[in-house]
Amino acid sequence: MMLNVDLEACIGCKMCEKVCPFAAIIVEPKTKKAKVLEGCTLCGTCVGVCPVDALSIERKAVSEEEIALYKNVFIWGEWEKKGEKKVIKNVVLELLGKGKELADKLDESLAVILPGNNVEHLIPELFHHGADKVYLCEHELLEDYSTDGFTSVIASVISSEKPSIVLYGATPNGRDLAPRIAGRLALGLTADCTGLDINDSRQLVQTRPAFGGNIMASILSPYTRPQMSTVRPNVFPKPVINVTKTGIVEEVEVNLRPMSIRTKIIEEIISQEDSINIEEANILVSAGRGVGSKENLHFIEELAEAVGGTVAGSRPLVDLGWLPHPQQVGQSGKTVAPTLYFALGISGAVQHLVGMTSSDFIVAINKDKEAPIFEVADFGIVGDMFEIIQEFVKLVEEEKTKETA
Amino acid sequence: MPENIIEAQQFEQIPFEKIRAVKGEMVISEDFPSYLVDESKISGGYAEYLFFPNTEEEIASLICKMREEELMITISAARTGIVGSAVPFGGAVLSLERMDSVIGLGYDDEAERWFLRVQPAISLNEINHIVKLRKLELHQSIPEEKNWIEKFETEKTHYYPVDPTEMTASIGGTIGANASGARSFKYGSTREWIRRIRVDIGTGDVLVIHRGKYKAKDGKFVIKTSEGDLTIKIPTYKMPKAKNAAGLYTKPDMDLIDLFIGSEGVFGAITEADIWLKEFTPQMSNVVFFKDEIDALEFVIKLRTSEKIQPEFIEFFENNALSLLRDKQKEDPKFVNMPAIAEDITTAISFDLPYSEETLSEYFIEISKMLEECNSSLNNTWSAYEDREIARFKHFRHAVPEIVNNIIAERKKQFSEIHKLGTDMSVEDIHLKEMMEFYRVSLKEAGLEYVMWGHIGDNHVHVNILPRNMDDLKLGKELYKKFADKAVQFGGSVSAEHGIGKIKHEYLQIMYGEEGVLQMREIKFSLDPNCVFNCGNIFGRGVKK
Amino acid sequence: MKILILVKQVPEADKVAVDPETGTLIREGVASILNPYCEYALDQAAKLKRDNPELHIEVTAISMGPPQATSALLRCLELGADKAYLLSDRKFAGSDVWATSTAIKEGIVGLEPEFDLILAGKQAIDGDTAQVPAETAEQLGIPQITYGVDVKINDKRVEVKRETETGYQVLSTKMPALITMSKGSNIRRVPSMQEVLDARKKPLDVVSADDLNIDESKIGLSASPTQVDKVFAPPSKSGGEIIDGTDPKAAAKKLLEYLKENSFLRV
Repeated sequence: MMLNVDLEACIGCKMCEKVCPFAAIIVEPKTKKAKVLEGCTLCGTCVGVCPVDALSIERKAVSEEEIALYKNVFIWGEWEKKGEKKVIKNVVLELLGKGKELADKLDESLAVILPGNNVEHLIPELFHHGADKVYLCEHELLEDYSTDGFTSVIASVISSEKPSIVLYGATPNGRDLAPRIAGRLALGLTADCTGLDINDSRQLVQTRPAFGGNIMASILSPYTRPQMSTVRPNVFPKPVINVTKTGIVEEVEVNLRPMSIRTKIIEEIISQEDSINIEEANILVSAGRGVGSKENLHFIEELAEAVGGTVAGSRPLVDLGWLPHPQQVGQSGKTVAPTLYFALGISGAVQHLVGMTSSDFIVAINKDKEAPIFEVADFGIVGDMFEIIQEFVKLVEEEKTKETA
Repeated sequence: MPENIIEAQQFEQIPFEKIRAVKGEMVISEDFPSYLVDESKISGGYAEYLFFPNTEEEIASLICKMREEELMITISAARTGIVGSAVPFGGAVLSLERMDSVIGLGYDDEAERWFLRVQPAISLNEINHIVKLRKLELHQSIPEEKNWIEKFETEKTHYYPVDPTEMTASIGGTIGANASGARSFKYGSTREWIRRIRVDIGTGDVLVIHRGKYKAKDGKFVIKTSEGDLTIKIPTYKMPKAKNAAGLYTKPDMDLIDLFIGSEGVFGAITEADIWLKEFTPQMSNVVFFKDEIDALEFVIKLRTSEKIQPEFIEFFENNALSLLRDKQKEDPKFVNMPAIAEDITTAISFDLPYSEETLSEYFIEISKMLEECNSSLNNTWSAYEDREIARFKHFRHAVPEIVNNIIAERKKQFSEIHKLGTDMSVEDIHLKEMMEFYRVSLKEAGLEYVMWGHIGDNHVHVNILPRNMDDLKLGKELYKKFADKAVQFGGSVSAEHGIGKIKHEYLQIMYGEEGVLQMREIKFSLDPNCVFNCGNIFGRGVKK
Repeated sequence: MKILILVKQVPEADKVAVDPETGTLIREGVASILNPYCEYALDQAAKLKRDNPELHIEVTAISMGPPQATSALLRCLELGADKAYLLSDRKFAGSDVWATSTAIKEGIVGLEPEFDLILAGKQAIDGDTAQVPAETAEQLGIPQITYGVDVKINDKRVEVKRETETGYQVLSTKMPALITMSKGSNIRRVPSMQEVLDARKKPLDVVSADDLNIDESKIGLSASPTQVDKVFAPPSKSGGEIIDGTDPKAAAKKLLEYLKENSFLRV
């Protein structure tokens, strides 16, 4: 395995030197030709930019016949408990929409792997959102999510059914589970994809942000199947529902013993705010460091009440314990896409922006006119957020009274 | 051979209408309010014109126009000063913000140093960004045929080492103020880093002053201008040995450039400067803690006289400052972003050292010895050398002033007249302990709330009195004057780095006496007879010939 | 008791960008640092050490990377690790998640097979994949708990407080196990000058693939199922209207009008 330089072709343009993330290729001043250094990780960045195709990485070849054996798009049917009820997570429905599109392009079908205990009632919703088939894997030890239990069940379905693609929601549990399965089956896995497509070679092109959202990378798994990705919630739209659509249910026999699940849940602490789901809110009123103190949060709450929105916040507020973690927007919190997003006293660190830029309309209020949040805001106000919020709430109240009168 | 006669260069007049200008007191106060204040937060500023010139020629033309209209000019760039130098009280504001580029880079064969030629409104941040990343075009070589830019590419990383804390400050502003900051402990103030300047003066001419070219003879300079010869008699007072930014610089055979550096813009607008660059050396930041302030002061003295170790700066935080940090930490850990400071600690000393793996152990063992002699140890310390950690330490050092400002802002809501009383006084090395003792005893006696921190390496600690009410404010002001008297007695300065501006002229007299202040005024009116520039700075508002 | 910490050296992620014109990585002036989440893992280890002196905990930091990654390991030693290993070899080059976790697994088996607990950061700030620890745990055949914010040792078991979407849960598992650490309310520690000095005397070994007798077909690019196809700048969203809010009343009014005009708000 190595990076080869075609010295005949190299024109010494230094493009490779400029792009190398590891400073591992240089153009030698004497020869004016590229030279590969110790630090090369064979990441391939330089190969792509070389204008004269003088760079190449030797790779192994895998038979196409073998790859052709793998067919169909699979999705992990993640559910969550709301009280005693189990409900399908939104991200699964979003993945069904995207999965259908990929399956159509490949002329293959779309299936859901559904592990759980008493989850049969979730199946119709999966069909309505586009699934052609559901692998129902029921067992009482699958009552709650566990890494071990879910890994075993899903890995065995994948091994026997040979899908070409498997998608998971990049939820905390999805990010716990997917690498475990990839580890078991020696597969590639691309995390937190924001774009999925099929290229001319029928490969899954997985696009994801890296370096905190500062760059994007598209990733392929050319030699292994299935190709697996996790996808953040709220990245893809939900598909149109077809309530008449049905499909095939295949019940999978599950063999699990208590000792094969090595982690035990001792305590479940649900924040009181769990009824608040910022991922599903239409209007989000989000606060950042600019609020200054916990007491000032009431301004945010008043605004939320006036516009019928839900309170959210950036990471610093959660770190300070002023807001519970489920209400955090951003890279280490949730990705949201409401119709209207208020960013109040949020400077707009890239880690926050990746979590909210798909909002339809962004209003930002900040003292600092240089704050990066203004670069993504549709409407920005440079000024004291408290004064402006108070005035705004007053105006909304006035309008409301006018209307009732 | 240096001489004491300089010939000013003249400009062709440019039609006044071509200069970007805003006219009218109302318009300026409504649409451009930020041009009427600076970080001093003094209120009441107003102006009839606001100019945004692009060139020296434009400045020269508008000087003539303002003289016709008998209006004075206040020079403005980043407005980060804290003594109100950029706050206009009538007349015109000359905002240099459009003149904010790097002109070029050259190598001075004689001095064997690199220099950067810049326009006045470029910020220190931007200068360092450009120099460190070598973002210079080939044609920017000075002179162009020398190919200095290519040569500079192969040099080690360079930077401009003057760091007056506020790195968004403009180079022009820092020359006007002779800015210093913590690192002047090692590198001296702005004065030492200026190679050459161009200044537009009140006659509408420009002076090109190259260090070393013009020196005072028989206590005089002669400036040949389009309006005749101006004779400048240099002051005869003695400058303090301690760090100083109060009043005009003087020395028997002084360099003309030094008269302009630190002159707070009263002689004209700096339109271009050559600044020296220095090779960048990686740093490591350290904080050491003490249970007793006396031990901490002893450590400072040991550290700054050490032969082996040369710190970049030595900063001091006394108990009240640490208490503020502790309180803030409980409320908002992220604000301070440092581990908790133990309750029994009363003093912290912060210093940066050059970082290299070769010397680290040797330095630390040496410091360990000093600390043990001062009842502390390497265990009671913080240390870091990664860039982001150094930034974290820097943030920590700046947290105290920020908290203080927030407290004052809060109190202002109750008593609108209240403001912070922050001293800026230095003394000679030998008087450090005495001065610190004097501060503490006086403040305790007066029963005032106070916080102290600052550049202890230069015997230059900022005492911040936080008045709780109007009585405190009055008491604080009296104490301030006492401190000024004492600092001068101890061979120091009443304003070591902030300058005099529009708020500290009464302390100038304490330092230089009535005669000294008169001499300064005399220069002002010989060089700027029509009092065009920055009237109110140094000499107080309403000063007339 | 032996605790291993899996660490990674990363570029300061928020400073890396792509030149929108050329589509190339701009890495000028970007420093390499120890991944911040790894520091929380180190902090947790230091805390366990402090709280359980009777266990005689020894902390070993392990990383895979180019030779210059020793500086990240040096920082681990400053922050409480007792020794450190860097797996560094040209043969590891081009490793993706799978190949990286394979190399780390082989490193652990070869160097510290008798470990009780592995701590890692929940993710690295450059790739943000959060996958290497879980794949390593799978390859080692041990249980994992992700997104931990607090870890307690209870005889042969560990109890971990874990962040979930709706709050927290406390999980328990038998050691050996792997835990990934989230930030929680931690402030990153700062080492003392003594710790910085001592770190330079602690063992830090660079280990090659041959030292570990790793089968070459299992590591590096050839063993990596995923490949980077291309790198590009994220589509930028252009800013909208920005108004001055010095007069809060006027600003609030404009905002309301604007929202109503665009039918985002109906009152």
